[in-house]
Amino acid sequence: MAAVMKRLLIVDNEETILFALQRYFTRVGFIVDCARELEEAEALATHTPYDLVIADLALTTIGSTEGLEIIRYLRNARSSARVIMLTAHGSPGIKREAYRRGVDVFLDKPRPLAEIARVAERLTGGFA
Amino acid sequence: MSPILHRLRQPGAIRIEFQPIVRVHADHLEIYAFEALARGPRGTSMERPAVMFEYARRKGTESEIDLICIAQALISSAALPGRPLISINVHGATLTSVPDFAERFLNSAEAYGHSPNRLMLEIVEYRAPWAIETFRATLDELRDAGVHIAVDDLGVGASNYQMIVDAHPDHLKIDRHLVHGCSRDPWRKAVLQSVVTLAHACAATPIAEGIEDLADLEVLLETGIDTVQGWLYAQSMPALELAAKSAQILSPPIPQRMKGSCT
Repeated sequence: MAAVMKRLLIVDNEETILFALQRYFTRVGFIVDCARELEEAEALATHTPYDLVIADLALTTIGSTEGLEIIRYLRNARSSARVIMLTAHGSPGIKREAYRRGVDVFLDKPRPLAEIARVAERLTGGFA
Repeated sequence: MSPILHRLRQPGAIRIEFQPIVRVHADHLEIYAFEALARGPRGTSMERPAVMFEYARRKGTESEIDLICIAQALISSAALPGRPLISINVHGATLTSVPDFAERFLNSAEAYGHSPNRLMLEIVEYRAPWAIETFRATLDELRDAGVHIAVDDLGVGASNYQMIVDAHPDHLKIDRHLVHGCSRDPWRKAVLQSVVTLAHACAATPIAEGIEDLADLEVLLETGIDTVQGWLYAQSMPALELAAKSAQILSPPIPQRMKGSCT
């Protein structure tokens, strides 16, 4: 029986990061959706059961924390999606809050794509 | 401004496709209506209408997006074949929050050459309760002008008994969740029978959404629902394509054993 393709939501306001992540994860077999805004991510997650969400912490300005709202939305919606949070501006307090809200792995930017991929593979039980 | 909202506001960004609503007679099919279905820009997350409207709701712009979709539907429907009803979706919130909605809608319809009695508004709602007095007054004005009123997605979300009591619809569009698989599920069949009883009591026409196979259609016809919409007959498509395929859509399937038992 053919493996069911896993679904991934990437949330970032930087086009270069979206492009790189989308291209990589599509190649390894994910069905990938991309969002650039909090409301776009929530709208997509309302109608799609994602296996994995990779979200930037800040989607509008440096220091903003829309990524935490995405985690809250997913957990309130009883989503079982595993969540990787990326940020270039994460304080220990923000990390604690992210883990409290249900993030699975918190990674500081910049990170090699290969490392993000390894974490994603571990969280989703392997790529299709 | 959000780049997504900016893009949705561009002329032509939101496209309209139409899906026929078919009435099944004993020996032939009739296109009863065309439902206008909005599609966001191709290649974006907004291409999926459910995502686009969810996004608009979260941005507090569903009424603005509704008005764009309504205008596009009125324009695009000029290319449709024949004279069936043209059915257009509208949020209950739009009926109450847009000043003079009924007058604006009727003026737009006239401007694009549509008689009000050829139009049907399907009310979708996600945020009950609404401003009930304005809601009723707007619907009364539309109804008095000849516009048909439908409750969309009946049976799920806020499309419930309260909506029927408030909207006094002449059409009840039964959500696909209750229709799909009704031939294999006595619970669905029981709910459908209750909707038919309700529709008759309210002098409303029940319409089943999401019909995909003949076995479900047979159950619907046995239950008294002869007006259906779904992939069994046609997917949504642009008006010009629909015009070219209308004859194909009106070829069977009609359940053989139902022939002669409905009018």
